[in-house]
Amino acid sequence: MIGCYVTGVLPRSSKLIAKTRSYERGKISKNELEESFEKATENAIKAQISAELSYVTDGMLKWQDLFRPFTENLKGITVGSLTRWFNNNTFYRKPIITDYVKREKDVVNKIMHFEKLPKNLPWKAILPAPYTFVSLSGNQYCKDEAEFMFKFAEIINEEIKSLAATGFSYMQLSDPALVYEPLTPKSKKDRLALVNDVLETAVKGTSVKTCLQTFFGDFSRILPEALDFPVDHLGIDLYATDFEKLKEYSFEKGVALGLVDSRSSLVEEQDELVVAAKEIIKSIYRSGMEEVFICPNCDLDFLPWERAEEKMKVISSVTKRLREEFS
Amino acid sequence: MNKMFPTQEVGSLAKPRWRIKGYRGKPLSKEEIAEAVDWGRKLGIKNLGELVKLLSKGDSADRKTAMLEWSAKYAIRIFETAGLDIVFDGEQYRSEMYEHVIRKTAGFKFLGYVKSFDYRYFNKAACIDKPRYVKSFYLDEFLFTKENTKKEIKVPFTGAYTLVDWTFNEYYEKKFSGEIRGFKGRKFEAKREFLFDLIKEVMRPEINKLIDAGAKWIQIDEPAATTNPTDEETKLFVESFNETVKGFSCVFSLHNCYSNYEVLAKHACELRNCSQLSLEFANRDSRQAGTGNVRTGYNAIKLLEEHSFHGNYGLGVVDVHTNFVERPELVRDRILHVAKVIGDPSRIYVSTDCGLRTRTWEISFRKLKNMVLGAELARKALE
Repeated sequence: MIGCYVTGVLPRSSKLIAKTRSYERGKISKNELEESFEKATENAIKAQISAELSYVTDGMLKWQDLFRPFTENLKGITVGSLTRWFNNNTFYRKPIITDYVKREKDVVNKIMHFEKLPKNLPWKAILPAPYTFVSLSGNQYCKDEAEFMFKFAEIINEEIKSLAATGFSYMQLSDPALVYEPLTPKSKKDRLALVNDVLETAVKGTSVKTCLQTFFGDFSRILPEALDFPVDHLGIDLYATDFEKLKEYSFEKGVALGLVDSRSSLVEEQDELVVAAKEIIKSIYRSGMEEVFICPNCDLDFLPWERAEEKMKVISSVTKRLREEFS
Repeated sequence: MNKMFPTQEVGSLAKPRWRIKGYRGKPLSKEEIAEAVDWGRKLGIKNLGELVKLLSKGDSADRKTAMLEWSAKYAIRIFETAGLDIVFDGEQYRSEMYEHVIRKTAGFKFLGYVKSFDYRYFNKAACIDKPRYVKSFYLDEFLFTKENTKKEIKVPFTGAYTLVDWTFNEYYEKKFSGEIRGFKGRKFEAKREFLFDLIKEVMRPEINKLIDAGAKWIQIDEPAATTNPTDEETKLFVESFNETVKGFSCVFSLHNCYSNYEVLAKHACELRNCSQLSLEFANRDSRQAGTGNVRTGYNAIKLLEEHSFHGNYGLGVVDVHTNFVERPELVRDRILHVAKVIGDPSRIYVSTDCGLRTRTWEISFRKLKNMVLGAELARKALE
């Protein structure tokens, strides 16, 4: 099966951007801002449906950063200073662990506009992976980083269960820190063994499909260990990964190929993407093809809305062509 | 400079409301005009009546240029009155460090706003053709500053690496799409060619113009230099700096801030013709007085020294992100601490962490004044 979906936050349209700015300047009320977000969310969902994506998200337009719903809603975490988001000209607010971390209520369900999602299509939710969340947090409380990683994995596990009950059937755990070169752990083997166990805790007892989405770094950096991670699919940023190294391994699980570059405004040539995807699929699946998803390499909100919309269409067209190739 | 611990600001000052509205041709309130007059008196600016007349009249093309000149004059006087040794015009001619250059250079198109953080966005351009120099973007303000001060001048200059890093690279990525197969390698090569074309076609011609007009010191601002803290990217950045300044007879310095300086420290000694590294430190330092262990913000200095960086430091001793006004004693201790670590006080230029554009003039002025007093205290301590 070859499908497609988005892998993160979608951009706010220029109209919505104007509204958020007016809100900041005290020119419109919170209600008016809320209405604008709702309207933009409907459009973000509509764009995914019209691009014929296999799973639909609510666009995550309200997410100020990947961590913020957790930073703001978990007990024991406070919102810290603005910090650069990997090698981008964008910033997140650092979660600061100040006390025993507790989840007292739903986090993602609370911010998600699931009531606007279509009933006839499967839904996808996107959450921060424990490794990335903990690596990018400031810890003033928990002495043992691994212990906190497991704690956060338990919270993610509860979130997944709650989202599954709402109707989401696909969960992406975003884990850029795992492959980002400047954060590469020194004792890689031990680290990846820890990540494996942490993921085990995060997905334990859940029946939805799961994907560990990596980006901003070379996926081959975590091979071959990642092949055994307890998730259904592995997400690869093809604009940061060495193709040749990737092709040295034989995969027995599904992949999400980040074939479209969210950090470039250039709309990709479809022919070229089809050729690259075919080559990768053929070389990594030596004993039978697994599920493959074509997707943007990371959040599309690095782009203005119009370009993001075009790129959604590209992943959809490429997916169709690949389906024909592999049928 | 013969004086020990010369003082400097990094670049920008806030733009007062009368400058912003005045430039856009919007009507000003009495309070806004009064603000201009009050500051004018404080700074000993002459012919204030002329400014008031200008601010009270409607929009005109003359008014735009005049507004730039008036606010530049104020900014120069703020720096001079605070007692700085090295001055500029507070970047009053520039809308902002990125847009100002891109708008005046051919080959770019603004695509619209993308997220920076929360409800803040920035207008991001795409490079859609080989960059081409159309007209000077810094010459006017340099000439104006030169005419209006007797102090030493340092021209802040947005570096090519940062411009490239903050721009979508459509033209070169497209160009390489047929040539390089791997997307990763292609992206890097496309960035590389964009960078060196921009240096050759735009940066160097502008530097040439500034030097011809009498510029003696250019500060290359590269906030993005440490955005990609890998050896490969840092080497590319160093190569780009060296290529930018190659062969010019002018003093060059480099400004960088709010990053982990570890990888930069490793490669800083490879920077050619870079007389000074101007870095932000105060923002990460404690506010306690004293030298030694309390100076937690200045650890990177040791790292730079260990990696054999022998140039001067533009030492950030004033935090530009807070209204807390550093006492002269705190400034002094920050200077003395680093003087001891590097063992050579003549390598220290006393500086703000970054441009003061996010602070009001009131706060900026107080901070700069205390910085000058702190440098004086440090000089006395070493006498």
